[in-house]
Amino acid sequence: MPTELATPEAATRELSYAEAIREGLAQAMQADERVFLFGEDVGVYGGAFGVSGDLFHRFGPERVIDTPISELGIAGAAVGAAITGMKPVLELQFSDFVTLAMEQIVNQAAKIHFMFGGKATVPMVVRLPGGSGTGAAAQHSQSLEAWFAHVPGLKVVQPSTPHDAKGLLLAAIDDPNPVLIFEHKLLYKTRGPVPEDPYRVPIGNAAVRRVGRDLTIVGSSIMAIRAAAAAARLAAEDIDAEVIDLRSLRPLDFATIAASVRKTHRLLIVYEGVKIMGIGAEISAMIAESDAFDFLDAPIARLGGADVPLPYNPVLEKAAVPQEDDIVAAARRLVREGRA
Amino acid sequence: MPIEVILPKVDMDMEDGIITEWKVAAGDRVRQGQILFDIETNKSVMEVEAPGSGVIRDLAPITGEPIAVGTVVGWIDADGEAGATLPASTADAAAVPESAPAPIDEAKGPSRPVAASEHAAVASADSIRATPLARRAARMLDVDLAQIAGSGPAGRIVEKDVAAYAARAPERATASVADRLIAFNPVRRIVAHRLAESARSVPHFFLSAQIEMGALRAALRRPGPPEAAPDRAPPSVTVALAYLAGRVLALHPLLNASIEGDAVRLHTRVHVGVAIDDQGDLFVPVLRDVPSHTLDELTRDFARLRAAVRAREIVPGDMRGGTFTISNLGMYGVDAFTAIINPPESAILAIGRTVDTPVGRDGQVVLRPMATFTLSSDHRIVDGVTAARFIADLREAIEHPEGLS
Amino acid sequence: MASLPGSRTADAQAPERAELAALGDDALRVALSRMHLIRKFEETAEASYMRGLIHGTMHLSIGQEASAVGTTLKLERDDYILSTHRGHGHCIAKGADPARMFAEFFGKENGYCRGRGGSMHIADVEGGNLGANGIVAGGLPIAVGVGMSIKAQKQHRVCMVFFGDGATNEGAFHESLNMASIWRLPIVFVCENNKYGMSMDIARAMAVPNVADRASSYAIPGIAVDGNDLPAVVAAAEPAIDLARRGGGPTLLECKTYRLRGHSKSDRNLYRTKEEIETWRDKDAIRRLEHELVAHNRFAETELRAIEEAAHKTIEQALEFAKASPDPDPAQLTRDVYAD
Repeated sequence: MPTELATPEAATRELSYAEAIREGLAQAMQADERVFLFGEDVGVYGGAFGVSGDLFHRFGPERVIDTPISELGIAGAAVGAAITGMKPVLELQFSDFVTLAMEQIVNQAAKIHFMFGGKATVPMVVRLPGGSGTGAAAQHSQSLEAWFAHVPGLKVVQPSTPHDAKGLLLAAIDDPNPVLIFEHKLLYKTRGPVPEDPYRVPIGNAAVRRVGRDLTIVGSSIMAIRAAAAAARLAAEDIDAEVIDLRSLRPLDFATIAASVRKTHRLLIVYEGVKIMGIGAEISAMIAESDAFDFLDAPIARLGGADVPLPYNPVLEKAAVPQEDDIVAAARRLVREGRA
Repeated sequence: MPIEVILPKVDMDMEDGIITEWKVAAGDRVRQGQILFDIETNKSVMEVEAPGSGVIRDLAPITGEPIAVGTVVGWIDADGEAGATLPASTADAAAVPESAPAPIDEAKGPSRPVAASEHAAVASADSIRATPLARRAARMLDVDLAQIAGSGPAGRIVEKDVAAYAARAPERATASVADRLIAFNPVRRIVAHRLAESARSVPHFFLSAQIEMGALRAALRRPGPPEAAPDRAPPSVTVALAYLAGRVLALHPLLNASIEGDAVRLHTRVHVGVAIDDQGDLFVPVLRDVPSHTLDELTRDFARLRAAVRAREIVPGDMRGGTFTISNLGMYGVDAFTAIINPPESAILAIGRTVDTPVGRDGQVVLRPMATFTLSSDHRIVDGVTAARFIADLREAIEHPEGLS
Repeated sequence: MASLPGSRTADAQAPERAELAALGDDALRVALSRMHLIRKFEETAEASYMRGLIHGTMHLSIGQEASAVGTTLKLERDDYILSTHRGHGHCIAKGADPARMFAEFFGKENGYCRGRGGSMHIADVEGGNLGANGIVAGGLPIAVGVGMSIKAQKQHRVCMVFFGDGATNEGAFHESLNMASIWRLPIVFVCENNKYGMSMDIARAMAVPNVADRASSYAIPGIAVDGNDLPAVVAAAEPAIDLARRGGGPTLLECKTYRLRGHSKSDRNLYRTKEEIETWRDKDAIRRLEHELVAHNRFAETELRAIEEAAHKTIEQALEFAKASPDPDPAQLTRDVYAD
């Protein structure tokens, strides 16, 4: 599977992650009148995190639709609109609120195409601001993406850069399947190069953010950013880390991970979701089951969220999810001592 | 139990290989060690031997596509009863797998029971802590993990330990009275293959010259700038010669060239490989773009490369892309020698020791520190006069090393 | 309510009631034919199940045929319906081919869902049936999206969504009615109140006496009708369909009916008496309509038997088609998990 190096194609202009998403939405809505955005407070308010911004004024109330606080209802509405010719983009205000919409996403959206023998498609996109670090505490800070990566019929992506936030959104809108985009609240203000054209980042392709030979660090979303920062520090200690930004959790670009492990012989998986039963467990097991196993020169290591609800106190909150220092330390131990 | 035939890693930096030819067909009876197939890696074509004896089946098709290292490409069904093809002695003997025993039985540590049976050895191998990669390396090199002390946590054997053990193995072998067969380690295998190919196919010719080394030695003894002093490694003669050769090569493009089909590629940049030995293995790390670096920079880079070789952490990228090679055996007391060209380069410079030698100067016989330089050239690219002009310019540069910095 | 159970009060000399008079002979012939098809389909399905020819379970709507047929009689071919786990009737009423339904029942490759859905997920997307649903109230939010889609595409379609009395206690019901009302969506909400949510009597489960009463919370019309009286059901549904088509928004239509079989095949009817079941058997919608038609000389008895006989024949052929149909290929197991 093709991968790309860190630098996106020549782009002179910088946008924030939120602006990049908004630009992608606007371009999709301009290009295809079937596309519409809806969700709680996405209209005049501009979205809880300001992502929809001025779209309400640009596209009007029929294409940027404020909904009642009815997560289950609006998730189902996305399903209904999608199977009858529209391309809805649903914003769930916080990814935690997806718990209220599970039925429609898991039982309906994910299964309709299969259950109906391929007779209907569900081209809907759900945008979910997730992750911790804002002091929003236990019910507004979770990273629940692994739940959905467990469901056949769904696609799950997690952009880490403004470039990928726009490119994955446009790819998701094109996709005939339900795609969940887990955006990270801490990344909305981060800036980076974003081409103006409506380019796509293919779903299911990881990006190698840094080439290295001593160990492979796999992460997505903000963890890919922290892994890259950690790798830069590790280089000063003569530890040459390869950093893979998954970008998509489902489908998972396993070939890229396995090729890297065959090269570096060590694997560290970093993710914000609770460590046990998570993405790290899956990647770890896939490596153990594959021929890449024979190339491991140290046990696979995982850094994941602590086994607690996200705490409010900022010190505790930071301690509950992997930070850059944790990644540096774990990578160092893995390379120098043979275990993290 | 059927035996897996895998696409083996036969090259240090190999991740996959292409099967170019099967030498056997499904259903053939094969012997252990018999050549099964050829694989092409990014460097060479290698023959792969049967890992066991029996009837081979399920051969991977030849597609021209790379296959990942470790992929099963066939199976060998062992003969129904081992005794059927082996002279039956005892039940135990028949049960011993045909795969070769560890190559260095004699080297077993004193703490190990000398008379350990195969069964005991297998049992102890089960309890050895080793990483998957180390186990794989041990399989590939036919090394007994029980012989190795692991350097990882709780004595876990990691790949580095196996490589180091395998590299030491030939030395131990000399202590033995009996003849023994030692499988090439991967480094040796590459070296053997490439040099044999070069010696077979490249029409070598050799020019030798004695060059006076006094001025160069004096220049190298001069202290560097004081501010650089604390961490300034003294430049070695080898690095200085690489430095000077690099500058001279820039003026002699045919000596910095390689054959490509019916054409010669003249390289814009000069990357000088320096042959070094580490525990019996030959490595040729490459100093990049020599003419645009200072001697200090090259000295630092060479120190890094040598340390990497010692630690067996040298990466393939550091050994690729050389355009010329020098090999200095002066420190081993060699007066002069000829070297085999490192393909696809067009020449290699062999340097002997520096000896105070009587020479005529201004009608007097005087002693001068002289060294013999022997240039091996590929006659397809380089003619005698071309080589001679290079030697002449090199002599000039070594005997008048002004501006050495 | 129009008539007493099993009574023969309809008098040939007395004028037809308005609901019946509104239906022409052709419409009645279609309605009767569909009711017979449904009845025979389900009886045959039940027999096949008991002979072990069908695995899984099924939810029979025997006794509720007038509701399924009456509500859909005035729908157009390109109108949508969303159905329930007790959905065979809706499916046939909307015009599905019983042969392909039976093939689905048997899990065959040429069933409506290629054998992947089974009884509970039959969908006939081409025929406007967007699927039965295994989740109580699962179709309601989807209907909202279908309504949004119709409106956005400026179509003149109507979406009719079926659900049982139990579904009206789900949040999805309330979220969906509310959104349909505020956005004036072209939806007819049809509650088939068969008195029991599995075993629980709706009188014990619901705070108001009628499901239709709940419409007042959403400022939409709420109408209760005898669901075993076909002309009455048609008379109630038609204005609701027209209202929706005209842009007047949704209606909540409650058809009071009764399932004569258990909830599913494993139901032992411990929560209701034999006497109650017998009482409702006497109100059987098919016999009741036939009596009335004969009494008013709309149809001769022989003509009615011919309609029934034709339905039986269709179902017998459907069964044969299903039995002779090919099974899916296990190699195709993961087909249609994702759309291309």
